[in-house]
Amino acid sequence: MVLKNNLKEFRHKNNLTQDDFGKSVGVSRQTIISIERYRYKPSLELAMKMAKELNVKIEKLFYFD
Amino acid sequence: MALSKKEISILIEVVFSILFALIFMPFFYENQGDNLISINNLIGKITPIIIFAVLYFSMAYAVLELIFKAKTTVDERDDMINSKSYKLGYLLYELSLFVFIGMLLTNSILQNTGGIIFLIISLLLFVSIVKSIYQLYLYRTF
Repeated sequence: MVLKNNLKEFRHKNNLTQDDFGKSVGVSRQTIISIERYRYKPSLELAMKMAKELNVKIEKLFYFD
Repeated sequence: MALSKKEISILIEVVFSILFALIFMPFFYENQGDNLISINNLIGKITPIIIFAVLYFSMAYAVLELIFKAKTTVDERDDMINSKSYKLGYLLYELSLFVFIGMLLTNSILQNTGGIIFLIISLLLFVSIVKSIYQLYLYRTF
């Protein structure tokens, strides 16, 4: 089971760049790139911040595949 | 291959370690057989290295600031990468202690002041360079 996410899709829906989104949740652009490529698994705190910022439920943003 | 500011900072450290080795190591390599290295020689060797280090890092980071105007954010991914690389560094330090003792016991040419300093600096540089390269690898793969 791999933890995947729809971050890129929801970020585009909100018209946010990786840099802007990173700043809004307090991480670097590289971290956003890494999460979108499923390389880095964010902490629960960061995942919840991201979900809140994108106005989406956390289970819609992150899922097991 | 585009490198981030953090990755370039690590590369600067690696380059510095290599330059440091190239400048500093020959002195101790040549004096491996000395029981007492002259303090004047040592000060004469250390002073230009300190000046060189200050100039090198000032220039390198000034150029970095000019290229990347935005401030870097240190986040949980950086903490994770740092903790992994420092863990490897710590394990290598422990291992290098055994290597140090083993080499001292088996190699008679190292059983003096010059030899011991040469061995310590060699091991520290090795650990530092490996740790930095591993950190860079983690930044590229995570």
